[in-house]
Amino acid sequence: MNEQQQLIKDTLDRMLTDLCTADVVDKAEAGTFAKKLWDALARTGLTVAGLPEEAGGAGGELEDSLLVIREAARYAAPVPLAEHFVAGMLIAGQGGKVGEEILTVATGAFRVDSSGRLVGAGEAPFARWCDRVVLVADASGTAKLCVIPVSDLRVEEGGSLAGEPRDAITVDTTPDGNAVMSTGDDTADRLQLMMAAVRALQMAGALEAVLELAVRYSLERNQFGRPISGFQAIQQQLANLAGEVAASTMAAHAVSAAFRDLNQVDIAIGKARIGEAVSSGTDIAHQVHGAMGYTREHTLNHRTRRLWGWREEFGNEREWQVLIGRAFLEGGADNLWGKVTVRR
Amino acid sequence: MFQGLTFEPFSLPEGAEAIRADVRRFLADTLDPGDLPNSDFNAGDSAEFSKKLAEQGWIGMTWPKEYGGAGKSFLERYVVTEELLAAGAPVGCHWIADRQSGPLLLKFGTEAQRQQFLPKIISGDIFFSIGMSEPDTGSDLASIRTSATKTEGGWILNGSKIWTSYAHTNHYMVTLVRTEPPSENRHAGMSQFIVDLHAQGVKVTGIRNLSGEEDFNQVFFDDVFIPDEMVVGEPGNGWEQVISELGYERSGPERFLSAFRVMVEFAREIEQNPSDEQLALLGKLTAHLVTLRRMSITVAGMLESGKLPITEAALIKDLGNTYERRVPELVRLAAVNNPSRRFVDTLNECILHAPSFTLRGGTREILKGVIARGLGLR
Repeated sequence: MNEQQQLIKDTLDRMLTDLCTADVVDKAEAGTFAKKLWDALARTGLTVAGLPEEAGGAGGELEDSLLVIREAARYAAPVPLAEHFVAGMLIAGQGGKVGEEILTVATGAFRVDSSGRLVGAGEAPFARWCDRVVLVADASGTAKLCVIPVSDLRVEEGGSLAGEPRDAITVDTTPDGNAVMSTGDDTADRLQLMMAAVRALQMAGALEAVLELAVRYSLERNQFGRPISGFQAIQQQLANLAGEVAASTMAAHAVSAAFRDLNQVDIAIGKARIGEAVSSGTDIAHQVHGAMGYTREHTLNHRTRRLWGWREEFGNEREWQVLIGRAFLEGGADNLWGKVTVRR
Repeated sequence: MFQGLTFEPFSLPEGAEAIRADVRRFLADTLDPGDLPNSDFNAGDSAEFSKKLAEQGWIGMTWPKEYGGAGKSFLERYVVTEELLAAGAPVGCHWIADRQSGPLLLKFGTEAQRQQFLPKIISGDIFFSIGMSEPDTGSDLASIRTSATKTEGGWILNGSKIWTSYAHTNHYMVTLVRTEPPSENRHAGMSQFIVDLHAQGVKVTGIRNLSGEEDFNQVFFDDVFIPDEMVVGEPGNGWEQVISELGYERSGPERFLSAFRVMVEFAREIEQNPSDEQLALLGKLTAHLVTLRRMSITVAGMLESGKLPITEAALIKDLGNTYERRVPELVRLAAVNNPSRRFVDTLNECILHAPSFTLRGGTREILKGVIARGLGLR
């Protein structure tokens, strides 16, 4: 972490401690947008930390935004930081600009017909709280990047198992000319990959928080006359959790490094490996927390439910594992090792 | 985050990568295609192979030139060792001398010891074992009872060491002994001796492991005279010496590559017509492998820069050992119908050696204790 990133992390930690309390997360899950939190993040430029200035960003490194996204997930921040960033990246890639409006991305099936009409349906995280949705549509074989006001969509509210908005959208509108841009054929894939990458980073961040919570709880909870952290059975479980978290931290670093060129295999490895860490990690954290962690009141569930949601989104472990397996098998068994060592 | 869990990314520098092609060429020329390669560092030994490796300058390659070393970086050595393991080369003879005994002498040994032993380790002529465990001492290493009493010009050693790999074929054993009776500080009063395994009073008895091989032993000492010159460093400094080796001992590629040849043979079985289930398994295993390797290289970078990453090393060994034990268990259930003889033999070899993965160099339970300490739980 360089100096700039340490500064971002410290600022963010202060802001999230104040403005992303358990109460704010609960209220967001019940339907109230955490506007104060978003406004504070936007005012300090943290929502666009890694976007270039000419695209309306703060002009930092790409990694700055990835850090913000990962750190915010430690606090289960119920705002579309990841989606806004990916939408901004896509817009910046077209030479466009982001402004004050809150952006999200949509995945689904969308097409633009010869008269310029955009039709389709899909899903857009947080759509109900956003101003515009960025999506990729097919126009008779060429790809178009569309930036559509949410007010022009039909939004059917839905939620993940973490209570994060995962809204179904339907579109049938003729957008302004400048809202539809020709883009590369791979843009839909890039959107998918970027979202898989940011979800992997969010999981890594939340897993770190889960470990901290579990360790702290074990030190505070007394049974049989002493903190449960003193029992070997608990120590071993927490050591296992620490191993999974360390592996996911490492995998997340690789995802960040792979983001610039959107290296598919490294992002896949991150999403799959961190997703696996979620399964065993949340199991242990809940076991250590006992019944207390099973309550809605305890803040552990803000992280673990999100982890269970994120591991499924934009390709679960199994889907990415098939892709990784195919990539490593290409060239045959005797090239397997060579394919391992080229991954720096 | 907790100290010891941060794993800042680090990549092998170009300089270290440059050696990789040379190692691959050497292995292609040297390994017998008729042999069944095994990535377990303890599963194959060939003095002939070690000698050839020495001729390349790849034993003791990080040691100073004045002892015959190549003065290479620890990261270059990392590349050489991982290539050897991935290819399943028979590295058992020189492994301990190269990884542990030589660096120990460089760090703590006397100048005379360095001059006597390092050039011959480097030339592939002498091999070392480690003598730590005893019949009544495993994980609780401080409870050793093998002891030495002072005599004119040296020490008289009595007791026994167990599970010492290749003590029957190696030349020397770095042996942890009590040189003072146990006191309140149970880590005090221990020393490391360089024991000549052919000295009078040393008896080596083979122990068959469950796969039927005799690679480890019990070594008995009956009034063995150890000259003062064969005490590593200062008497009483043994525990500190042992602890200082752990970062190197626990974080290397041998802690997660032991089952690698099983993955290669699995890939060979499925490469013509893989099912999605088989691809997913290969993908899962490689995702773990790539991540473990990145962690291990990160720690190699820390070691190279002079840090002592004890918790990180324990984490890598625990995760890595767990992984290498799971590989054969998962692969066997995903294999094709009518698997090849080569696949079955590789798999069975791994299954038979797997119980040792989570024992040697610190049991799973000891490692979890080290990690728990890093978390502030003890």
